[in-house]
Order: sequence, then C-alpha cells, then structure tokens
Amino acid sequence: MVGEEAITMMDPAGLKAIGAGLAVGLAGLGSGLAEKDIGAAAVGAMAENEALFGKGLILTVIPETIVIFGLVVALLIS
Amino acid sequence: MLKPKSMTRAVIVGHKEVLDETVDTLHDINIFHIEEYNEEDSTFKIGKPFENAGEVSKKLVQLRSISSFLGIKPKEVPIQDTKVLWAELDEKLARLENELDEKTEEKNSYETRLKELDSLQKELEPFVSIPIDLKNYRGYENLSVFAGTVKGDISSELSGITNDYELEFDPNTLTIALFVRKDKEEIVAEMLADYEFREIRVPDVEGTPSEIIADAESERNSINEKISSLEKNISNIKERYSDFILASDEILSIESQKSEAPLRIATSEHTFVIDGWVPSDEYNKLTRTLESSTGGRVFVSKQEVAEEEEEEVPVEYNNAGVTKPFETIMNLYARPKYKEIDPTALIFITFPLFYGMILGDIGYALILLGLAFGVKKLVNSDAIKPLMNILIYCQVSTLIFGVLYGEFLGFPLASLHGAHGIEPGLIAGFETINLFQSPIGGEMITYPIHRTHLVMTLIVLTALIGVAHINLGYILGFINEKKKHGFNAAMLEKGSWIVVEIGIVLAILGYVGYLPIAVGAAIFVIGFIMLIKGEGIKGPIELPSLLSNSLSYTRLIAVGLSSIYIASTVNLIAFEMIWPQGGIAAVFAILVFIFGHALNTVLSIIAPGLHALRLQYVEFFTKFYEGGGKEYSPFGYIRKYTEE
Repeated sequence: MVGEEAITMMDPAGLKAIGAGLAVGLAGLGSGLAEKDIGAAAVGAMAENEALFGKGLILTVIPETIVIFGLVVALLIS
Repeated sequence: MLKPKSMTRAVIVGHKEVLDETVDTLHDINIFHIEEYNEEDSTFKIGKPFENAGEVSKKLVQLRSISSFLGIKPKEVPIQDTKVLWAELDEKLARLENELDEKTEEKNSYETRLKELDSLQKELEPFVSIPIDLKNYRGYENLSVFAGTVKGDISSELSGITNDYELEFDPNTLTIALFVRKDKEEIVAEMLADYEFREIRVPDVEGTPSEIIADAESERNSINEKISSLEKNISNIKERYSDFILASDEILSIESQKSEAPLRIATSEHTFVIDGWVPSDEYNKLTRTLESSTGGRVFVSKQEVAEEEEEEVPVEYNNAGVTKPFETIMNLYARPKYKEIDPTALIFITFPLFYGMILGDIGYALILLGLAFGVKKLVNSDAIKPLMNILIYCQVSTLIFGVLYGEFLGFPLASLHGAHGIEPGLIAGFETINLFQSPIGGEMITYPIHRTHLVMTLIVLTALIGVAHINLGYILGFINEKKKHGFNAAMLEKGSWIVVEIGIVLAILGYVGYLPIAVGAAIFVIGFIMLIKGEGIKGPIELPSLLSNSLSYTRLIAVGLSSIYIASTVNLIAFEMIWPQGGIAAVFAILVFIFGHALNTVLSIIAPGLHALRLQYVEFFTKFYEGGGKEYSPFGYIRKYTEE
C-alpha cells in the first residue's frame, strides 16, 4: 500500500524560465570565454596596424553566434 | 556600380625643361596617381627635388610649430588669394614669429621669477615666527649664530653652559635662532648635537621674514596679472593670424608636394618619365591639359595592363552619391581589388535593412534621427559625416520597420487580444488586425506585427533571409571567380555550395514525402564531390557553416527582442511599479523612464549596428570578398582656404 506521501510538483512555467535563463547565461559565458582571448589579440594587432580593424572585428565576433543560439533557444523554450 | 572605376596606365615622357610645368599641371588637375619609381638596376635615376624644396619645407616646419603652439584648429575661414598670400608670406611669418617670441620670452622670464619667489618663500617658512631681521644673522666677529631645528626646548641646558646668549625658539616648528659668544661655540655645538640640531640656511636677503613674505606675495600677484595679460595677448595673436596660418599652411603644403614630386619619378640627364594611373574616363583630360600647358612638349602614352600587374592598380570607388557613405564600411574591412565586385551598393540596401529589422521602433528611430542630424550639423569633420549619414539611412529603415511592428519606445501602439485578455496599446482604438495563420507554430500573423508573439515564425523567416543573403554571396563569389579563373573553377569553388544546398532542400522534401529521398541525396553527393575538388579538404570542414551561418541571422529577431524587453522593462518599472504611488514617486518614475531609455538608446546604436555589420563582414563577405586593393590617391591637393 502506498503511503500518503506529499507529492511535490515543480511549476512547469518556473522550470521553463530556469531553462531559458540557463540557456542564455551559459551561452553568454561561453562566448565571453571564447571572445576574450581573440579580442585581446585583435586589439594587440590593431595597435601594430590599424588596417586590421575589420579583420580583428570579424575574428572577435565569430564566437558571438554561440550566445545568439542561446538566446534563440531561450525564446523557443519560453 | 558594383565595380571600381576603370583605370588606365599612363606614362608621361618629356624634356626636363618642362618638368616644372608638368608637375604643376598634374598637381592642379588632381587626377593622376603617381606610381613611385623604383631605382634598382635601371639607367634612370630618381629625380632631384626642385630648388625651392628646402626653403619651402623650412617655412612649413616653422609655420606648423607656431600653429601647434597656438593650438590652431581647422575651421571655416574666408578664401584667400594665393598671389596675395605669397607676396606677404615671408614678411608676415617673420612678424608673427617675432611677436610670439617676444611674448613667450617675457612670459618665461615672469615664470622664472615666480619660481624664485616660490623657493624663497619655502626657505623663509621656518623663520616666520622669529621676528629677527635676516641681515642680523650675519656678519659678527665675536658671535656665533646657530639657526636650525632641534628636537625640544634647550633653554635650561643652555643656561648651564653660559648666560651670555640670545635665543629665539618657535615651539611649533622647533626652530631656533641662537646667538652665543664665539668662545662658547664648541660646547654649545656639542650640546645642540644631543638635541639633534639640524642647520637651516638663512636666505641671503634683508628684512624680517614676515615682511619679505608679504612683499613676495604682492609681487607674485602683479606677475600673475602680467602673465594673464600676456596670455590674452597671445590668444589675440592667434585670433588675428589663424586665417593666415591656415591658408599659408595650405599653400606651403601644396608647394612642398610639388617640389618633392621629382623624388617619385624617373629621370635621365635630360628627360623625365612619370609612370602612373588615371581613371579611364579622364585620360583625355590628362593629355589635353598637359599638351596645352607644355606646348605639346610632353608625350603621354597609354600602356596595356598585364594580368600580373592588376594587383598594382589603384582602386577608386565608383558609387552613386547616396551609397557613398557606405564606402566607410568597406574601408573598415578592406578596399576591393581592382577586378573584384565592389559590394558597396549591396551594403547600402542590406545594412540599413538588417539594422531596421533589429531595432524597429518609432521612438528610438526619431531620437537617433534627431541625434544624427544634430551631430552632422555641429561637428565639421570628414570622418564623422559619412557615419552620421549611415546612421540616418539606418533610422529611416528603423522608422519603416517601427511602423510595421507598431512599437514606440517599447510600448505596443495597437491593442492585442492575447491569451490573457486584451492588452491595451498606446493609441486608443488602434486594434491589431489578424491577417492569416502562419504555417509555423500556429501563430497568427497580424498588423502591426507583434514580434513578441511571433517568435517562432520570425526565427524561421530570419533564417531564410540568411539563406538568401548567403546565396547572394555565393553568386557574387561565382562571378568573381569566373572573372579570375574561368567558369570551371567558379563552378567547383562557389557553385558547388549551391548544388549542396539544392541537394539538402530536395532531401528534406524527400523526407517529407514529396519525392524519393535518393534524388536529394544524389545531388548532395555530387555537390560534395565538386566541393572537395574545388576547395580541397577545407570544403567539407566548412560544410556545417552553412547551418551555423544561416542560423546566425536569427539574431535579427533575437537581438531585437532583447531590445524590446529592456525597453518594456523600463516602462514597467517606471509606470506600473513607481508611478502609481503618486506624489514624489512620479518624479522618480520619470527619471527612471528617461535614464532607462537613454541607456537603451545608446545600446540601440551599438547592438543593431554591430550585429548588422557582423552579418555583412562574417556571413556575407566571407563568401566572395577578398579585398586588399591599393588606394587611389591622385597627386594633388583639395584646396580649402585658398584659390589661385
């Protein structure tokens, strides 16, 4: 016989919000980690030669897609 | 459009007698890009600068040092006649320098005196509370004087040694002035040593310290007054001469450019050869003007451009006026090569389009439009103007999308019937109209488009925009490649991507059941093999970028939504959390509203701008663009302050 255990339920909406938050937050951390080294190197290269701005910007923002994916996933969840 | 200006290689040959006129003419018409002459193993030598070169550059240096000393900035001044300027240049320059020298010398001497006064005051400081005339510290035969600091009161100790003394002691600064008989000097000195006596030099002046300090103070004031009147004089000179300085800087720069031009061209004993580039449509102008100015004594000839020389061709954009500002964006990346497609006109469409899609808010568009016009009007800089023009184009697009989205500073303009009842809009009675059911996610497409309620549809739509944009890139890449290496190479390198895409689409259609899946798969494999042949191992490695690149365009909706959420959060805090409390809270609500939206306005330039830029640079340009062309910089000068 099953005892009268209290069944605790988590609110699905709350879980969704947590999931969305994790998606954006972790993805943001990820792209931040990836961009920091590239950005530093790009600024260094630009100090040597200003014409490298375009290339530096591109290389720096390549990992940025990661956080956009996170944002999209968060939008899809919520 | 889409192509840089066509260039013609021209070689100008003539006798050295007419070199002067030739250089003058070339400089005046300002269309000829001189190819620097390289002396290595050739019978021709680099030319010698004209005779006046040394003198001109000396004057230029003199003028520029004065100009930087006075801090003269470029500004609008009346145009001056060069003849008048040249006539009075030497005399005026000398007078200007004399006047300035006089003033700065005087100012320097005053400043030295100020420093002297400062150090005197510092030396006198310890003696301030000892009312002895400073001349009484010196010149005794039978007295010894000790002036300095000790660590405490010495009068009791001193009385043990002698009664014939005179002591002044300042207990605050622990300064003493002690007069004793000469024969007691040694014992007293020993005693003072126990008290850590440290001698202070008595300044070599007369009068009591406090009097001297008061005098110094009044002298200092009068010097300061003189210095400030001198400074006023100097800024007066700046006012009077700034027109002259700007204009003569210009004519001297022009003259120095001309006189150093022979350093860039080839000469033999009696002849000169100038090699360079001229826009093809101006070639006739070049020959005509040269002929008339030298009386037909120079010979201009057109040269064929060999394929390997294409790298050397200077590149000049050939864009209509409206698209010109976007050349800034191109230059930021790299100037196109001579034979390459110049995508400025395409960026003119897609950059503001993407920016507007992301921001899409009437309120921010109006604010930024006002800001851009204001900055354009106030700041007179050639670097800022194109940027402001770009911002204006972007805001026009934002305005259009704002109307489409029906958003104003994060408030929806139209009311919306949602799952939670009716959410009222900013404009009373403006109801959202249902248009049709979206095929994705069962969402209803409405006017105005509520982005927050159409997330799924818009994500798919933006990804499709991405696919279209990327394929445009591949098509441009195909054209570039065909021009450079022929149809086959273009088909393998760029066409293969499109074949692969078609294969994927057909395979998906097959998966859904419209056709056999094998058709899609077969086309995909064909494309894949072409890709490996065209790009080598790099191709398959980059294959997943098709997916990530097109998904990257979902930022068009994602970044926009984050901007909406920031704006509506500001509105929520201001008007639903603070405002209802009434009274003083209303002021806070308005402050929160203003600062919140000010912050979001700044973000509204940076975020959509950078993301729209990135989509061009990373997703679009990598498909076709190489860049790295040489800048076309014609020999000449654009006059601002003078005319002939």
